[in-house]
Amino acid sequence: MSATMKLKQGSFLWYLYLDKLYCLLSVRNVKALLEYFHLLDVHHNNTLNDVLFYHFLHHVTSWNRTQIMIVFNMLDWNAMGEIGFDQFYMLVCILLAQQNHLEEQFIFRHSRPVFELLDLDGELRIGAENFHMYNFLFNIKKQDLRELYHDFDITGDRRLNYKEFKLFTIFTMDKYQERQKAEKDKDKGKKDLLKKKRLHHVNVSLKQFLGINVSESRL
Amino acid sequence: MEEKPFKASLGSHGSDKSSPDNDIRNLWTRATLSQPKLNVPRSSVGENSDMEGGGIGRKSRRWYNQKAGRDSDGGWEEWDDGEDKGSFKQEDLNESSLLELELRRASSLGSRLGEDVDSVTDTEMSSSESSLSISKHTPHRAYWMEQQNRLPLPLMELMENEALEILTKALRSAAPLLGRPCSCSLP
Repeated sequence: MSATMKLKQGSFLWYLYLDKLYCLLSVRNVKALLEYFHLLDVHHNNTLNDVLFYHFLHHVTSWNRTQIMIVFNMLDWNAMGEIGFDQFYMLVCILLAQQNHLEEQFIFRHSRPVFELLDLDGELRIGAENFHMYNFLFNIKKQDLRELYHDFDITGDRRLNYKEFKLFTIFTMDKYQERQKAEKDKDKGKKDLLKKKRLHHVNVSLKQFLGINVSESRL
Repeated sequence: MEEKPFKASLGSHGSDKSSPDNDIRNLWTRATLSQPKLNVPRSSVGENSDMEGGGIGRKSRRWYNQKAGRDSDGGWEEWDDGEDKGSFKQEDLNESSLLELELRRASSLGSRLGEDVDSVTDTEMSSSESSLSISKHTPHRAYWMEQQNRLPLPLMELMENEALEILTKALRSAAPLLGRPCSCSLP
């Protein structure tokens, strides 16, 4: 199973975007999505059956059949064999979060619904095998999963309850923010280095012709 | 260059309509004075804003509700029903006469533009500004309200084409299984 999903370029979902802070769609985007949902809902049931759902995901994502059916079973929480707009909206948010590399933020902001989605049996606990089955949804690597259960299984029952899961989301969010900060600092460092090099070149050339030093403030 | 479009629009659109629709349809045709590039289909005429008055606003709201509720595909045709035209005329004479006055002012400003090409710079700026401010409040309100309530056409086209592709594939995969006892419906 490929970990990174890509939306089909130029597809309708490809043009949507999540609010980066709350990881939700804007009202305008939801309106468009509702219209799109109604176009797919050929039977006018306000739902999509498994055939329509499969072909929709097959068309717009790079997931294979197994992954699509796992997602369908996860979203069909009433076991009706159909997906309503609420579940469809949730799915689109997950897809967009993955597309825009906002998985950590998404799980942090929506820890309760994500927990309920992963808790297939309704036992208010998530086992490692469940998590592993859905790691393609949230791009969680095996190593991270092992650390997760090692560090956050406070009760020691080899499963995560909601509080433990919430701690995990806070921790991953902190890690994500640190990573962002490190990348920003790295970029800033590169820019400063480039500036210094330029200044040095200018100094050298001016020295050669005029014997003048240029200070940083002038540049 | 701006002269031809508005002259053409006055000429071509203004003459065809019968009197019950004249007031409302003229709002759209004379609107091209200030925004000559505006291409609005004739069938979109009539959606005046709620701000202009209860009568027109109520009718347009009803039309919007019909369209939004997807009761029928004939949303446009339902508006064209003669019943509506009559009630427009009775209820909204005052509103339409006010609008007519404003539009006549706009058209006189526009005609001045057409006649005097040399002094175009100052007159054009002031007239376009005033006609813009007038037009913002009158016919274009209906246009902007329609834009706010509907999705943009390119987006609709994209969605429809994509949905059509998906549904065609779904039908092709499910067609061989239709009529058989259901065991597995997926390809």
